[in-house]
Amino acid sequence: MPENDELNLEQISRELREPVALDASFDARVMAGVRGLPRHVRRGVWSRLTTPRTVKVRPLSWAALAAALVFVAGVAALAAYPSAGEVSRRPVVALFQPTPRAPQRVQFVIVAPSARKVAVVGDFNGWDPEHAAYQALHRGGGVWSVTAQLPAGHHRYSFVVDDSVWMADPTAPRAIDKDYGLPNSAIVVGGSTQ
Amino acid sequence: MRGATSGALVLLAAFATRLAGQDPRLAARLDPQTNVVVGAIIDSARTAKLPTAPLTDKALEGWAKGGDGTKIILAVRQLSVRLAHARTMLGTTSSADEIKAGAGALDAGVSARDLARLRTAAGKRSVTLPLAVLTDLVGRDVPVATATNLVVSLARSHVVDSDLTLFQRNVRLDIERGADPSTAASTRARGLILRTNTSGNPIR
Repeated sequence: MPENDELNLEQISRELREPVALDASFDARVMAGVRGLPRHVRRGVWSRLTTPRTVKVRPLSWAALAAALVFVAGVAALAAYPSAGEVSRRPVVALFQPTPRAPQRVQFVIVAPSARKVAVVGDFNGWDPEHAAYQALHRGGGVWSVTAQLPAGHHRYSFVVDDSVWMADPTAPRAIDKDYGLPNSAIVVGGSTQ
Repeated sequence: MRGATSGALVLLAAFATRLAGQDPRLAARLDPQTNVVVGAIIDSARTAKLPTAPLTDKALEGWAKGGDGTKIILAVRQLSVRLAHARTMLGTTSSADEIKAGAGALDAGVSARDLARLRTAAGKRSVTLPLAVLTDLVGRDVPVATATNLVVSLARSHVVDSDLTLFQRNVRLDIERGADPSTAASTRARGLILRTNTSGNPIR
């Protein structure tokens, strides 16, 4: 059997090696067939964009695209309105900081029936007894008062009566002054929130 | 020679004032020698990142109260030391007002350790007003230990500033009416803590 196979294979290969005779019109027929095919047109970008086509997209792809759009929109919004986060926090700050840190009007009152002049001196006016905005007025009955705008924060102050007598505010917290030996009071304007 | 020295000090003070952005009121009110020394103390405080406004105010206060140069320099220097202690005990993130109030409490006799206790009790809330109230209680003859324990307890109970102000006023009125300072402060503090803890909305 193997000998028969070898003979068959040899015969087949000999047949295949025989040259194939083509008639003279073969080339002409092939070229005519090629020319008969539809002409290939080189399409531009615009043509590619405007030519209708069918696109198949999986639902998961749509979800990914939507998430990407939301992300881009969020980033763009933050870039356009950098204070957007602060605005949303403001009401919370307002809840826990009822006393603003802005300057506030404060009234100083002292009863000094025999005084001829009363001034308020403190950290807020450079301890200047002649500061015009801190000269108290006599309201009658020995009551002297002045209302002034004080910056937020912790201040020490005192009343100066008749340019010579230093008096702490009897209604305010005391501020110890061991340095100069005269009484001071303390006031915290705008609460003590940070 | 003496005139030349004074002139040089005046020039030095003016130069230092311009250079360091020192408050011009100091140069206007203090004598040149005092101004130079006070300016140096303030510069050191600035370098140490301490609040410098209280030092300027202390010098101006000394001028207003008629203190001489030596007394003013001593007062400003001692205050700078107290500010540094207060900052250390209250923490480096403390506000200038807290440090200033802390220095005042130290001057009243409150210990540095107690400042730290109050800071811990208050957490992230400001201790400016609690320190002012503590200083006031000590100034009204409430023993330091009692006053400190009460204010620490109030801070731990999250008593708000408005109630703390009311507490200070009530204690003052009680003392003026003849109550024992320690008893008045303890009683008022106990009531406030009780109301704060039970209702979270203290009765005014």
